[in-house]
Amino acid sequence: MAEFLDLETQDAVRMPWNVLPGTKQEAAQCVIPISAIYTPIKPLPNTTPLLPYSPLRCRNCRSVLNPFSIVDFSTKIWICSFCLHRNHFPLQYQQSISEDNLPAELFHQYTTIEYEPQNERPTSQVIPQVFFFVVDTCMIEEEIGYLRSGLSRVIGEIPENSLVGLITFGRYVCVHELGFFGKIPKVYVFNGTKEITKDQVLEQMGFFLKKPRPATGVVAGVRDGLSQESISRFLLPAAECEFALNSVLDELQKDPWPVPADQRAPRCTGTALTVAAHLLGVCVPGSGARIMAFLGGPATEGPGSIVSKALSEPIRSHKDLDKDDAPYFHKAVKLYEGLTKQLIHQGHVLDVFACALDQVGVAELKIAVEKTGGLVVLAESFGHSVFKDSLLRVFQSGDNDLGLSSNGIFEVNFSKDIKIQGVLGPCASLEKKGPLCSDTTIGQGGTTAWKMCGLDKSTSLCLIFDIVKKENPDIGYECIWLASGTSIDLLHIICSSYQHSNGQMRLRATTLSRRWVTGPEKIQASLFDLIAGFDQEAAAVVMGRLVSFKMETEAEFDPIRWLDKSLIHLCSRFGDYQKDSPSSFVLSPRLAIIPQFVFNLRRSQFVQVFNNSPDETAYFRMVMNRENVANSVVMIQPSLISYAFNSGAEPALLDVASIAADRILLLDSYFTVVVFAQLLQAPLDDANAIVKERFPVPRVVICDQHGSQARFLLAKLNPSATYNSDAPPTPGGDVLFTDDVSFEIFLDHLQRLAVQ
Amino acid sequence: MATPGGPRPGNLPPNYNPNSIADNLHNLQINRPNQPPYPGNGPRGPPPAFGQQPNSQSQPFPSSGPYSSSPFSGPSRPGPPPPGVAPRGAGPPSSGPPHGSMPPFMAANRPTGGGGGGTSSSNAPPMPASRPLTSGPLPSSAPVGPPGPFASSPLTSGPPGPPPNVGGGSMSNGPPTFGSQSMQGGPQYPSANVRPRPSTGPPPAPQTMSSFLGGPADNQPRGPVPPFSAPPRGMQPPTGPPPFSAQGQGAPHPQGSPFGAQPWQMQSRQNAPPPPISGSAQPPRMFGMPPPLPNQQSMATISPATGPSGNAVSGPSKIDPNQIPRPVPSSSVLLHETRQGNQANPPPPATSEFIARDTGNCSPRYMRSTINQIPCTSDLLNTSGMQLALLVQPLALPHPSEEPIQIVDFGEGGPVRCSRCKGYINPFMKFVDQGRRFICNFCGFTDETPRDYQCNLGPDGRRRDADERPELCRGTVEFVATREFLVRDPMPAVFFFLIDVSMNAVQTGATAGACSAISRVIADLPEGPRTFVGIATFDSTVHFYNLKRALQQPLMLIVPDVEDVYTPLQTDVVVPLSECRQHLDLLLESIPTMFQNNKTADSAFGAGMKAAFLAMKSTGGKLLVFQSVLPSVGIAALSAREAEGRTNISAGDKEPHRLLQPVDKTMKTMAIEFAEYQVSVDVFITTQSYVDIASISVIPKTTGGKIYYYHPFSALSDPAKLYNDLRWNVTRPQGFEAVMRVRCSQGLQVQEYSGNFCKRIPTDVDLPAVDCDKSIMVTLKHDDKLPDGTECSFQCAILYTTIYGQRRIRVSTLSLPCTTMLSNLFRSADLDTQFSCFLKQAANEISSAPLLQVRDRVTDLCINILHSYRKFCATVSSSGQLILPEALKLLPLYTLALIKSIGLRTDGRIDDRSFWINYVSALSVQLAIPLVYPRMMSIHDLNSKEMDGSVIPSPIPLSSEHVSDDGIYLLENGEDCLIYIGSSVDPDITQKLFGISSASEIPSQFVLEQYDNPLSKRLHEVVNEIRSQRCNYLRLRLCKKGDPSGMMFFSYMVEDKSSNGLSYVEFLVHVHRQIQSKMT
Repeated sequence: MAEFLDLETQDAVRMPWNVLPGTKQEAAQCVIPISAIYTPIKPLPNTTPLLPYSPLRCRNCRSVLNPFSIVDFSTKIWICSFCLHRNHFPLQYQQSISEDNLPAELFHQYTTIEYEPQNERPTSQVIPQVFFFVVDTCMIEEEIGYLRSGLSRVIGEIPENSLVGLITFGRYVCVHELGFFGKIPKVYVFNGTKEITKDQVLEQMGFFLKKPRPATGVVAGVRDGLSQESISRFLLPAAECEFALNSVLDELQKDPWPVPADQRAPRCTGTALTVAAHLLGVCVPGSGARIMAFLGGPATEGPGSIVSKALSEPIRSHKDLDKDDAPYFHKAVKLYEGLTKQLIHQGHVLDVFACALDQVGVAELKIAVEKTGGLVVLAESFGHSVFKDSLLRVFQSGDNDLGLSSNGIFEVNFSKDIKIQGVLGPCASLEKKGPLCSDTTIGQGGTTAWKMCGLDKSTSLCLIFDIVKKENPDIGYECIWLASGTSIDLLHIICSSYQHSNGQMRLRATTLSRRWVTGPEKIQASLFDLIAGFDQEAAAVVMGRLVSFKMETEAEFDPIRWLDKSLIHLCSRFGDYQKDSPSSFVLSPRLAIIPQFVFNLRRSQFVQVFNNSPDETAYFRMVMNRENVANSVVMIQPSLISYAFNSGAEPALLDVASIAADRILLLDSYFTVVVFAQLLQAPLDDANAIVKERFPVPRVVICDQHGSQARFLLAKLNPSATYNSDAPPTPGGDVLFTDDVSFEIFLDHLQRLAVQ
Repeated sequence: MATPGGPRPGNLPPNYNPNSIADNLHNLQINRPNQPPYPGNGPRGPPPAFGQQPNSQSQPFPSSGPYSSSPFSGPSRPGPPPPGVAPRGAGPPSSGPPHGSMPPFMAANRPTGGGGGGTSSSNAPPMPASRPLTSGPLPSSAPVGPPGPFASSPLTSGPPGPPPNVGGGSMSNGPPTFGSQSMQGGPQYPSANVRPRPSTGPPPAPQTMSSFLGGPADNQPRGPVPPFSAPPRGMQPPTGPPPFSAQGQGAPHPQGSPFGAQPWQMQSRQNAPPPPISGSAQPPRMFGMPPPLPNQQSMATISPATGPSGNAVSGPSKIDPNQIPRPVPSSSVLLHETRQGNQANPPPPATSEFIARDTGNCSPRYMRSTINQIPCTSDLLNTSGMQLALLVQPLALPHPSEEPIQIVDFGEGGPVRCSRCKGYINPFMKFVDQGRRFICNFCGFTDETPRDYQCNLGPDGRRRDADERPELCRGTVEFVATREFLVRDPMPAVFFFLIDVSMNAVQTGATAGACSAISRVIADLPEGPRTFVGIATFDSTVHFYNLKRALQQPLMLIVPDVEDVYTPLQTDVVVPLSECRQHLDLLLESIPTMFQNNKTADSAFGAGMKAAFLAMKSTGGKLLVFQSVLPSVGIAALSAREAEGRTNISAGDKEPHRLLQPVDKTMKTMAIEFAEYQVSVDVFITTQSYVDIASISVIPKTTGGKIYYYHPFSALSDPAKLYNDLRWNVTRPQGFEAVMRVRCSQGLQVQEYSGNFCKRIPTDVDLPAVDCDKSIMVTLKHDDKLPDGTECSFQCAILYTTIYGQRRIRVSTLSLPCTTMLSNLFRSADLDTQFSCFLKQAANEISSAPLLQVRDRVTDLCINILHSYRKFCATVSSSGQLILPEALKLLPLYTLALIKSIGLRTDGRIDDRSFWINYVSALSVQLAIPLVYPRMMSIHDLNSKEMDGSVIPSPIPLSSEHVSDDGIYLLENGEDCLIYIGSSVDPDITQKLFGISSASEIPSQFVLEQYDNPLSKRLHEVVNEIRSQRCNYLRLRLCKKGDPSGMMFFSYMVEDKSSNGLSYVEFLVHVHRQIQSKMT
């Protein structure tokens, strides 16, 4: 395991298969796809320098000079490791480069390196980060109060030069002019029931009053025809509008339209977000901006509504979605698809903070949030720490800051034996089709470049590859590779030009190489090699993303069956057993815990949608889809730590048997942290440590055995002892009231089926 | 009270035949009986038959010395002060220093107003208080108002109080709903009531004809003047007696039936036998009657001229232009009892000042008929050429000395009504069967009297309690509406101000003017929880303001989508006045600066109105829109049609002018929706350019509002008028969410209503708002024959909500005799009302018929009537004579004036014409005449003239012959006021009056300032008096010869020959010739 972590530290990549199967067929037999989970802006080790210049690119394939490139120092030529094109070094390299004097990007340990080109843009033109608050006002006064205090808390934290804008909405969309300087404050009020176009925003908000509209061309931003004055009515540096913002927030009122007792409040979430997107598109296109939506209930008005106003009509459930009985769903999704496209085009992010006991429509908003790389937080109330602390984290600087960056473009380049099927994760295809694209696509596929409007330190993409080596490869060819000892494949991953939170553009290049194994004649050897390169955690995470994706996109998909089949196939291919003898079944330690991961994945909220609303499911999946491997593993299989008076913390089995009279348990299921029986300080401290570095901030539950809150723990435990077990529970232990199969039974079945 | 037992018509000497004199005078050439004297003319010799009328030549509105200084005596017109005159009559706020932006005029007046009238004017809504302020320099002597906002309500203040006969059991005299009712009350009026002048009798009506015969110009017979008129004039009025105690004045007070309507009965169809007495008969009944000569047949002998050759030139020369009929204003207050001796009493002219006493019929202010006897058959009516119509002005402003309308509360059961036709109980319902049943005077149905309403009948067949119950003895009463009249709670008084802040409006000062006016008017709105105010502004977007008190300052809410507007908030944009005064002040102060750099030239007028409407939809209310440019964007945007209009102007004669019609139905649709939700719109157009009033006016017209037009708007001189118009608009007596219906006796039915209202079902008119200035024309038609010798009743019932949120039904009933005799129709014709109807009908037609046709129709109407009279009623005389019925002798003059009026001219601006059409639509009778035949007077010689008690100098005929180069003349038509400065006026006079030394220095924008000299003071008095009479702050413009302003002035000289029509004399000739050709 450790070597995988080292690799991750160096290159921010985890791959289920670190040794690649040599042919398409072998790859198919591997069950778990050849893939990589890449965290584009994971902080690099301190030793890695930040290069203050632009990377050198191959003139043919645009890939970046890297340690695997062959450099001819005498002719000052480098050969691209992907296309083998010969490139001359530019002048400044030519002068200094030699075998003893290499530029950092050619150092072997810097397979991942970051460039921050200077002087590309004068500092004055750097457009600071933009935060556009879109605030729901259809809430009870109490919630408004919480939200108000939550927002006022972060206003002070916003970097001084960041631009801030504000929209409040209920039945109507109110765009607040924050630059009113002592005059009467102004609010533009848009009808929530109507779709509003960008042109209407331009016309109706008076952007052309002082300056006539250009006859042709797209109008956007200062460069393209808008006066700074007209823009700074709505978007102002935080330092300048703090007073205005606070006074608007102080007077923030519940949406004044009366709501009959049998109706939901009229809430035009869709229109509000559209207006916000238009306004940002008009004012600051292309520069980093986040729309932060604070939603307190379901959208009921105008496009994007998810349910009618009548309270008698329930909000769609998973069952409704399955039966296609959610009349509003598709319309809303369509609206948000359009919005997504626009936001991606503009390079803007949508964050959603949904705090309500009811659903607010996260399921519909998912596409927009996910494709723009937005943050999502789901809580029951704006007063809940999950919301308050998460919001604060967004603006927090220091060790635990999220490292929010924007406008990333993510490109890949490969050796010709590999193609890309697609990416699962928070990004959007830039539709740059090329020979590297596989015919089968998954997720954001059919392209070699993606847009990541928003990304942070832990944002991780899951790339799924295709092996296209021929079935009967040319022996000689193969030999060459083997002989030369370079049986490696090169994946070249470039995360180019993201806007760092300091406003500068950076470019990061990661060059990976992995070994091939192949040859049916050497089955054992290659199996051994493959197993040696198997990363179970990465595999579990890839499975998790894949199963979620399939559940959302494939009709009639049976996730349990698919997971079971995959696991059985995996075990029968890589397990060590005699046919039809379950007892002989042994798994290599490299594969030992994958059944447990799959068992817990089957029971997780990603697969089990029962008891979860579509909003919650969407939320969980979105978070998993953007998190790195370590965090995702916790989501799939919570970690359980036990504390005792006489010993330190030690990991415990995620099993009901771990409950014992003298043990204090700390369960971390990512979204929830449960302290079971609070008697010691240590578990609390550990819980707080988790809370500090996690986003969204988890809900901390402190409970006692048999307390109602204990369900948060019990639900996650392996039901090895249930109410109808034969053996009575150990004293101080517990039984679960469930009919779910326990892990032991699951494993029995697995062994039986694997050996067939 | 005076008359009931008085002489009935029947009792009158039969010899009282008006025609008698006519016969006697037949041979005179042309007589100008009542011609107002020219300045400088001495008293004319009295005609032999009649006594001299000493004051005949004095101004029509005498103001005798002692009173002239008193605010109350001066204004002869009951009208409330033109709001303007005493600008901001000193409400509490006014006591401060004059507003900086105020035009000098206003500033000058303010302090005075503040001094005396202070308290009284603050209570704006109850009108009376503000009335005294009318005369600019308000005396601080104020007997005026008891302090306190409602001081003027009759209950608290007036000695007269509720009339003694009030106390009927079931009836209660409710709290004053609004000023109008309480008007009479105030003690402040005694002087007015008791104006010492002999109240010059009711004018012309009684006589059927007067003949004006050619005679020496200088000593024409004057109107018969009661001998006594002079003496009493000087007397100080006794303060004690109730307003009507005219007896105090000594003389002639009409014991007998003063205004001998009676003679008519006697008069047979043949006009022949003129009993000799005419002269002697007159004085008693006519006392103080200045104007028309009784009993004369008017005729002009123009035969020689026209007869032979049609040589027009010679014709007119035979007519002395000084002798032809012209209006002679009555110079003093008339006292009018609506019924006398159980007979309807023909009303005094609408243009005169009168005090009506409701003795069964409603006061003519509320309802008057074109003919005061109803023809029994439609044939008879057709033969006369006249038309039968009522002009209804349900909330008309009463004279201060009139008794307030009594309020009757029937409790739970509601007012007694006919169960078949739903007519309301009135004095003409006949109780039978010991009062157990009553017969409806409309449908004839016999109803059971409700048990608790039963009362025995007296020997005369009347209920014994008839005199105690207002609904049984008064023509106009107000019932408290019961539940069944309410579909919802009465609406609060909502005032929503919508202000144009587009570039043009801001730069011309219109926005600032509007804001300052609103800001000051808000102080005059009734305090209390039922008054709501909202404000919005608009340019290419609509801006609302959240005025909620909790906010630190108002919050502007911009509605950018002007194609599909909405109200941004349901609450908080219309808020109780008491909760938002500070915000309002702050806001109105900052709006002009806030938008001072506004570069938006577009105006979303329609969208603004729609949005404001949505904001007030739940309650309804008044929407006051200030608009400055052509609405160019958003809902109901308009285009500058005027440009295309100029190119095809020639088509104007052959077909109706398209630009006078609304461009499309959008506005109409909006307006109907507004009306449905009880939103009434008034539009104040402060513009420099074409705004397409034809299209815009649809909204105010349909919602019971009005267009105010300030063109070209001047930031210097117009804000004063704007403020006063606005103030009057919101403070005058008015009602909301009204429904009106007119019922009439079997045999007649209502044909059509016409005015500013919305009509959804044929029988009722819906008035989102109704006020004292609005009148509605109701045309009638026969559907059966009426029995001769009976009376025919008309009842106008209007259900409305007062500004204080009470639901009331005001019921006015008028009962008129039926007749089968044509001559009776002519004798009882009401010229003012008839002409108003002509005017309104012509205005209605202008937009749908070619102009030529409209003019011809107007002329034909006149000719037909005169022809009918000539043919059927006039005594046989030489065919060369033009004979005019006395009652209608001014018809040709008015017809001529109408043809030359702005609306019927081709050369006017389109907007001016559209405005004129719209203005006429709801115009009251008393303002209809001056509109077409304005009043002109000389003012350079104000000091030298003997005023005889009237503030206003006597009028001069509208002929350029009477305008000399060394004079200064003032001409007013109830809306505008032009001051013409001749080219060779004594510089001393111009210096005194205007602060300039010659006509050439006339500024284009003019503000009348008061200078410290008697002449200037007199001019101010005159102007203020006129404003008070007209209830309007007339816009003053200076005119001089040779420039457009001078042209405009002379375009009012309707007696001149001009490109628009014949001269008066020529027109008479024309009419005569037409009649002659018809006769043959």
